[in-house]
Amino acid sequence: MGGALRIWFRSKHTLFWTFAFPILLMLLFGAIFSVSEDPRFDFYVQNQDLINGEPSPASAAFVAMLNETGVLKLKMVDPAANTAEYIDKEGVEMMLLIPEGFHQSCFTQNASIVLKTVPPEVDTSAATVRGVVEQIVEVFNTIATGQNPPQVVTLQQESLVSENYRFIDYFVPGLIGMTLMTTGIFGAIGWNTRNRELGILKKLATTPLSKLEWIIGVVLFELVMCAVSTAVILTVGVLVFDLRVLPSIYSIILIIAGAITFPGIGMVIARFVKETDSADAAANAVTFPMMFLSGSFFPLEMMPEFLREIAKVLPLTYLNNGLRDSMVYGNASSALYNTVIVLVVGIVFIIIGSIITNWREE
Amino acid sequence: MGKEAVIKVDSLVKKYGDLAAVNGVSFTVNRGEVFSFVGPNGAGKTTMVEILVCLRGLTAGNATVLGFNVSDRKGQQQIRKRVGVLPQDFNTFDLLTVKENLSYYKKMYDGGMDVNELIRLVDLEDKAKTLYKNLSGGLKKRLAIAIALVNDPEVVFLDEPTTGLDPKARRDVWDLIEGLRDQQKTIFLTTHYMDEAEVLSDRVVIISYGKIIAEGTPSELILKHGGKTTLIVEEGGTEAYEVLRERFPKARVDNGDVLVPINDKSDLPDAVMTLNSNKTKFAELVVRRPSLEDVFLNLTGKKIVGGELD
Repeated sequence: MGGALRIWFRSKHTLFWTFAFPILLMLLFGAIFSVSEDPRFDFYVQNQDLINGEPSPASAAFVAMLNETGVLKLKMVDPAANTAEYIDKEGVEMMLLIPEGFHQSCFTQNASIVLKTVPPEVDTSAATVRGVVEQIVEVFNTIATGQNPPQVVTLQQESLVSENYRFIDYFVPGLIGMTLMTTGIFGAIGWNTRNRELGILKKLATTPLSKLEWIIGVVLFELVMCAVSTAVILTVGVLVFDLRVLPSIYSIILIIAGAITFPGIGMVIARFVKETDSADAAANAVTFPMMFLSGSFFPLEMMPEFLREIAKVLPLTYLNNGLRDSMVYGNASSALYNTVIVLVVGIVFIIIGSIITNWREE
Repeated sequence: MGKEAVIKVDSLVKKYGDLAAVNGVSFTVNRGEVFSFVGPNGAGKTTMVEILVCLRGLTAGNATVLGFNVSDRKGQQQIRKRVGVLPQDFNTFDLLTVKENLSYYKKMYDGGMDVNELIRLVDLEDKAKTLYKNLSGGLKKRLAIAIALVNDPEVVFLDEPTTGLDPKARRDVWDLIEGLRDQQKTIFLTTHYMDEAEVLSDRVVIISYGKIIAEGTPSELILKHGGKTTLIVEEGGTEAYEVLRERFPKARVDNGDVLVPINDKSDLPDAVMTLNSNKTKFAELVVRRPSLEDVFLNLTGKKIVGGELD
């Protein structure tokens, strides 16, 4: 282990891929997709309920309440504008229309507002905004019927945000999953191909070292590597992005399971593709698609049906989901389900990998 | 030194499909001797080593090392503990130092030699903290030999230890190997260099196409198969050849030199006088005693050049 760690430490390439690459990815994706800490959604409102050119008290009150939530950045649309044309021209996806006569109808208790949306609603933000508006409507109703002067109500921020996860919460577990995969596969391949070429494996085969001991050594080393990478990613996530992580026993088991699975896959590849360069190419061919198709970076819901089917057979999918469940959502049963799958797959792969690895010719 | 057989090989055959890499080989190696397996590339030398160190299975016959059978599981475990191996074209971890590399391999064994002492033994003291990748070819080989000694083995297998080294580095390795003999270690050496086998070995086996074609001490072999002393008329050319051929019909030209086999006491003075009286031009006169190279030539009709049959 000591020797292996020294080699790792002195290999500039490996250091880069273990530390710098995940951090870079995280900063990059985090920047691209980040919604600021207090998410503020642009929200178009057209208030057509005017009295003498000014918004009616009821509509004004409603708009004020929308504003007070602090979640919506209101963009008021000219009351005279043609709604449909405006949506088209400005490329707006959602707009709230407060119709003429809103104020009056509030008192007769049959007021309505219209939330115009442009399908399909791909954004999770659309659901959030809708949720906010619905809440406002409820509150408004309560106040209106009580016939008290409308009170400004501040919506509970937490209840909104906990139902809606930020991209970084989705991304970091996926990044950890991806890193576990690349570390495990490339690490195991490196130890088995480059060292074979160098004659190291042959030399080791002349010592009392058994194949099992060698494999355990590789897996343990990759486990340490995985732990280090995970720690790095989590640290940056917490410090830079205020990631909220829930420590869980499943997380640890998942990382261990990942550290078993991917070296196993790596060994299978190394058994068939013996030269270092081709083995690396083969590993890339496996890891890159798996990275994207297993939902490490983008929610699977965003992908077409047949890609989602592929995702179901990728071990990384379950690892990612399990990590998300155990680290961010706190969903224990789902975490357990995913953990078990990854563990079983891992054991299968490591057993296959061990059996087919050539140690000595009998 | 009493004779105790540490390696016994009996009618060993190793086939890959229909191709026999080793085709019915038998020999014994005694404790404390330097024993060489000489032959061109592909003759079966490396295969032999791999079978003896339990890296490969054999097809027929049997072999024992230090009394343990190479085909037996338990025997293999015992053999691995007690032998040291330097595989062909061996390279170790680039990014570890000399000392770290040694420590790494030592961990595979219980006990063994003290790493610092080993470093001193192979004269790498001032390079102990140098990374492997920064060592010269000769020093890398020295480290490789040290690695093969890390478990203080009784038998050391060196597979082509000087191939690819410059002459000085080769001499260095020869000195090292001579030094090992002093430690009562038994050395099994493979090489395609005839001079190496001649200089280092107590006993030699010449192998070609998987079969043994000669076995014995270098002197025995040279006496039996080496032929005679040769007078070399360097750069004598056709001129010297014409002058000598009547008296010496077996003379021949080789690369501008004229080679004259010397059989009798009178041959040498006769040859010199003939050259002198004809005032034949030449660069130098060299008297060359027969060597293992001549043995191989006489037995197979070929030379080994750069490892390949010529």
